[in-house]
Amino acid sequence: MEYEHILVERDGPVGVITLNRPRVLNALSPELIAELGHALDRLDADPGVGAAVLTGGEKVFAAGADIADMAERTAVDQLLRDQTGRWQAVTAFTKPLVAAVNGYALGGGCELALMCDLIVAGDTARFGQPEINLGIIPGAGGTQRWPRTVGKYVAMEINLLGQPIDARRAYRLGLVNRVVPAEVTVAVAVDLARQLAARAPLALRLAKEAVNRALETPLSEGLAAERKSFYFLFATEDQKEGMRAFLEKRRPEFKGR
Amino acid sequence: MAETRMNQVVEERVAGGVAWIRLNRPERMNALDAGLRRALVEAVKRAERDPEVKVVVLIGAGRAFCAGADVQEFADRTGTMPEIRQDYEALLTRLRTMPKPTIAALNGVAAGIGASLALACDLRYAVPEARFVEAFVNIGLTVDGGVSWTLPRLIGVGRALELFYTGRPLPAEEAERLGVVNRVVPADRLEPEVRELAERLASGPTRALGAIKRSVNHALDSTFEEAMDFEFHLQGVQMQGEDFREGVRAFLEKRAPRFQGR
Repeated sequence: MEYEHILVERDGPVGVITLNRPRVLNALSPELIAELGHALDRLDADPGVGAAVLTGGEKVFAAGADIADMAERTAVDQLLRDQTGRWQAVTAFTKPLVAAVNGYALGGGCELALMCDLIVAGDTARFGQPEINLGIIPGAGGTQRWPRTVGKYVAMEINLLGQPIDARRAYRLGLVNRVVPAEVTVAVAVDLARQLAARAPLALRLAKEAVNRALETPLSEGLAAERKSFYFLFATEDQKEGMRAFLEKRRPEFKGR
Repeated sequence: MAETRMNQVVEERVAGGVAWIRLNRPERMNALDAGLRRALVEAVKRAERDPEVKVVVLIGAGRAFCAGADVQEFADRTGTMPEIRQDYEALLTRLRTMPKPTIAALNGVAAGIGASLALACDLRYAVPEARFVEAFVNIGLTVDGGVSWTLPRLIGVGRALELFYTGRPLPAEEAERLGVVNRVVPADRLEPEVRELAERLASGPTRALGAIKRSVNHALDSTFEEAMDFEFHLQGVQMQGEDFREGVRAFLEKRAPRFQGR
């Protein structure tokens, strides 16, 4: 499939997806989201890919929706389009997904960043949910993922006041893993993804699943699920290889088996 | 090359890669009223965006640098507090964070928001008659314009609090000794000396200067390890630049480097 709104590249074991609608600040159209889902599905299925990076490039991550297009829509239009429902491909991705955010990540763009597993922010990054200023609220997880990330009070501020926060505040709040010069945000994210891709694939997948489950279940259930995955991994070749390599003081060679 | 843009209250001139922004309301000692404040915000914004501008100099016309906020404006209530606050914060933050050196040339007194402007710049040159005045306390006010952040970082908490508590003016010579002012020069030497410095910086490896400022600003709010991480990444960017290649080549060839700012 040829993509019109995104670029997909490979950097060794890392798939790099770049949102590519610079003229509209990478506004997240349904077509773009469809392409993104398709590209992520393909990277997920590719055994040569260990992790992925999602970025908007050096200037902007993703800001703005097409407000002119949205202004006259009805509730039924919105329901039938179910635009935000189509974002599930992003959270269905089973490998580590690192967001590389420069400039604005606003509205849907911010929610997209929040769906990723780690976030590397350039010093120019701004995160926010300005929907309230248009008389609506976030529709792709903003009201749900912010409180699960930074707690209720900051989440209220972000969603109710609609003012973006900068990279340093996002870092202090724990939303962002690293703040780096904007020129190297993508490179640092790719480097991080490469480090992740060198880990045992099955363990990575189950660890990601377990952490995500922590946000959805009571502790006892989460702990039980974690334990099962922990035991299960002793049935993998990678566990044998990992421990043997540790004892033999060499680097492990994981196969994802 | 020189291009002068005249506004009634701010004179802007770009020469030799340096934007000279002159507060030009000498009859009111360059006190900031709504007009001067707005013009200054726009001038600094333009200087930040103009790729020809490598260094920014703030200076005052007449015998003062800037006497502070024009009290008349408070009496007349011509600006709302949120507007005034937004302008000042945009101005001060921009001077402190734009990736270009900013220099305050203190031709005279810098009081209140005038002192804040000077302290938000990277460097300060001053004439012997110049002084910083943080006299908010004399009219029952607290400090503003970011000086609670800038001044203690320059001279330490104890000395900054003493000045804030007493409202005692800080003369140029003492300011130089304390490290607030980089150099005190005679009045007739202020502009030539600042020009010499500013043009030297402007013809240097300006991307490196911007990177240095970004690193220092990042470090002010970081742990040692975070600062080193940020430095390391920016160093990597600089190493890709033409100026670095030229710098190394010139060093090996034992000649002066010709930097392009790339």
